[in-house]
Amino acid sequence: MAVVAKVWIDEDCITCDACQDICPEVFEVTDDSSMILASVRTDGVFDRNVGGSPLTAGLGAELGDIIIEAAEACPVEVIKFELVSDGVDEVVAEVAPAVVEAAAPAAAVAAVAGASDALNAVFAGDRSLNILFGSQTGNAAGLAEKTAKLAASYGLEPSIVDMDGFDPSRLATMKRVMIITSTWGEGEMPDNADAMWSAINANGPGLGSTHFSVCAIGDTSYDEYCKAGHDWNNKLAALGGTEAYPIQECDVDFEPPWKIWVEQALPMLACVDESGTLQVELLEEMKAYGAGDDDDVIEGDFAPGVVEQENLTITVDVFRYCPEAAESGWDTLTCAVPGHATIQDLLITMQRDVDGSLAFRRGGAAGTPTTGVRVNGRIVLSDAAQIGDLVKDGGSVRIEPLPGHPVVRDLVVDTGRYESHRSRAEPWMRTDPREGEHLPSGHAMGTMDSAAATALHQAGDVLSFQLIQAMSDTLPHDPHYEGPGVHFQQWLRAIDPRTSETQRKTIVSSLQQKDGVWSEADHASLMRYGEDGRLAARALNEARGALLNQTRYAGKSGRLVKWYGRSVKWSGNVNETTLYRQVLGPLGLVSNVFSGVSARMALAFTRNGGPPIRSLQSLLLPPAGLGRIPRMFNSRVENYHEVVSLFNEIDQRF
Amino acid sequence: MPKIAYYPGNVARAGASEVEDCIQPLCKALNIQLIEIPRASSDGGNVIKQATPKLQDALVARNLALAEAKGLDVITTCATSHAIMCNTAQDMKRDPVYASTVNNLVARTSKVEYIGETQSWHLVHYLVEEIGLDKVRNAVKNPLKMNVAAYYGPDMQREGACAGDDPFMPTYMEQLIEALGGTPINYESKCNSVGSTSMLTLEDSSLAMTAAVLSDAIQSGADLIVSACTVSHINLDSYQSKAGRVSGKKTIVPVCHLSELVAFALGFYPDRLAQLRTRVRLIGS
Repeated sequence: MAVVAKVWIDEDCITCDACQDICPEVFEVTDDSSMILASVRTDGVFDRNVGGSPLTAGLGAELGDIIIEAAEACPVEVIKFELVSDGVDEVVAEVAPAVVEAAAPAAAVAAVAGASDALNAVFAGDRSLNILFGSQTGNAAGLAEKTAKLAASYGLEPSIVDMDGFDPSRLATMKRVMIITSTWGEGEMPDNADAMWSAINANGPGLGSTHFSVCAIGDTSYDEYCKAGHDWNNKLAALGGTEAYPIQECDVDFEPPWKIWVEQALPMLACVDESGTLQVELLEEMKAYGAGDDDDVIEGDFAPGVVEQENLTITVDVFRYCPEAAESGWDTLTCAVPGHATIQDLLITMQRDVDGSLAFRRGGAAGTPTTGVRVNGRIVLSDAAQIGDLVKDGGSVRIEPLPGHPVVRDLVVDTGRYESHRSRAEPWMRTDPREGEHLPSGHAMGTMDSAAATALHQAGDVLSFQLIQAMSDTLPHDPHYEGPGVHFQQWLRAIDPRTSETQRKTIVSSLQQKDGVWSEADHASLMRYGEDGRLAARALNEARGALLNQTRYAGKSGRLVKWYGRSVKWSGNVNETTLYRQVLGPLGLVSNVFSGVSARMALAFTRNGGPPIRSLQSLLLPPAGLGRIPRMFNSRVENYHEVVSLFNEIDQRF
Repeated sequence: MPKIAYYPGNVARAGASEVEDCIQPLCKALNIQLIEIPRASSDGGNVIKQATPKLQDALVARNLALAEAKGLDVITTCATSHAIMCNTAQDMKRDPVYASTVNNLVARTSKVEYIGETQSWHLVHYLVEEIGLDKVRNAVKNPLKMNVAAYYGPDMQREGACAGDDPFMPTYMEQLIEALGGTPINYESKCNSVGSTSMLTLEDSSLAMTAAVLSDAIQSGADLIVSACTVSHINLDSYQSKAGRVSGKKTIVPVCHLSELVAFALGFYPDRLAQLRTRVRLIGS
């Protein structure tokens, strides 16, 4: 039975009455906030009890469980309490964060048979090890993860900590600290360590009970080799910390020196006991323990380490759609979540604790291609996108279904159209026999060299083609357009050297069709979605280039490219009149007159300013749509022969 | 007085002359010295890129190199042009071998090379980050007093092309509208494409996309739409009645370019502002 010593209400109560319904003996909800009744408090005051007045004698035991139930039921988690057990204050408890943090690797054992009493005494205490990393390219973060895995061998409980957003005052509470950091530029901290470095220099905590060791990654070709690591080493020492093992410098081939460091520094730090004292005499025994006995069965949690981030207090808006009632809207709640939790973690917690009817697609592991959602405008996989990468503390997260697909319920979309387009496009492998290679079944097998394989992999290295499909702004407005996700897959198959000539021709012909690769109105809508969008836009642009070559600039799209290029080559500028005439033809030009586009301009209903004669010109000589001045010839840019030379050097087709 | 090279893009000195009319006086009013690059050419408009990406990158690198030779950054009023310059700069930075190839071509033909020091600015980013909204606010002579919806488009709304603004939930234009005495209107599709680069080849899709953006802004209460892109401005404005007919949506709303809006608020072309106000009263939502 839990005994509550004191209970109070934080700010931002939404006065939902839940606490009063559960425990009216303690809580009373007013118009502004829930309050703690005067009758249950030793100070006899009626307010939120932010001063922390204890509960009257016996009440904490009598109502403890109900108070905790009320706190857990609070949707905005503003009810805080402190527990008492057997007369000894426990750790201050608060409502559990909305998302459960993924566990760090567990300690290997708590006590060791055959070990000395002194070593067992060390194992019996706090075994936490904090591995902080400062990383620009991910190398230091990778070493931090590897270090954490090894740390469990010495009975340590490692936590990997990203320096970004880390409060350096917390170092004072840590007995064992390892820092792995790279050096950036001319002796600068990596970006994620900058703020922490500034903070510790402004107000560094005393580190009298902290043992530490630093691994510094650098490049000997720079003058300030490993400077960031040395800066940290000197700073921690200056603040009173004890260097358990000397700093290790690592050049660009950083793995071998890191290994030397970790094999020495880990057992040394593992010898730091509960009181923060380094038991050097146990070092050899600790090393033997860490080396292990080959005959032992290996046990423990071998899950990869988790890079922990601070808790964030955020507002979450989730799109809801009920197909039965054909109603849509938004659910809003405020909660505290760890920055490293994924969107899927958040949704699972909401489904479990708030509304069991919330529908979304779950992934089996990080990066499941079918878990796409839109979060704050970004198109992401919910089981891979971390909340800390999408929002800052105090910000909002807006979760919507993946665009470009019909919504089935809440965040679940129907990808049927995409699947049927993909099925018709047949972007799968059909090979020709090459160099006599055959599968055991007797079927022909295509081959390619490693460089081609690498290039092909890089060209299509995206999280999910469904996400690529959702990036298009054109797709929702053209029901026949097959979509960039489908065409991207087709193009990757077309450039795959294993693909048979027959299939390649089929694919290329399909891409040139009416609903093919020319149906995307704007690759910029893809480009904006990070590296995946950039790769897709690049591939689709390549596909267009290949089609232009093959068709010799046929069709409207071909004529646009050809005459745009010629126009620029001839003068350095774009000639809109030429473009209109060549792309649309005479009848196309006239269509603007009848569609009202020219009239709108001429009658000054559109585009502001300019002399009326321009409007008249546009009406009488319709180049129109693209402006008021129907110039037949452009004035050339100065030294335009330089532009001509560029065209001649790079592409003489124009 | 800050100096910056001016790149008008592909249409400001042709079809979109109103942009050219306004950029010069507004910069003078804000004490920005625009430096002409007479040798600058078209950037290829993401059209030449479809045939030969290297050719478009070379054209852009040449323009950037010409500004770099003067020790200046580049400013443009067109989101597409700005994004094209950012793309080329990023591609060259990402791949030094490719950068070297492009630079060799540019050096051979034009005697300049793009080292990578000059960066492109869109007008809105420059005003918010380099000039400061306070300075803009203090220079306002004709406060807008209208509900204005900002259209960003997709080109410059991505990492590396939108300065310090959020790529997906941008606010710089809204901040600027507020500084100019207007009331910013938020709406969902402010970063969506209107398909302007494909207007000649995919008219149906482009008109549908244009109609979706216009009707969203109108339904959100906009009296006026201001476009950050000179090319998209043409779709949003000249083609809005056609887009309305094709889509069946309400699309009629006054549209102007960002440079016009700023110039009008700073006291230039009061007759055009008056005409715009009249149109807002007559057809604005």
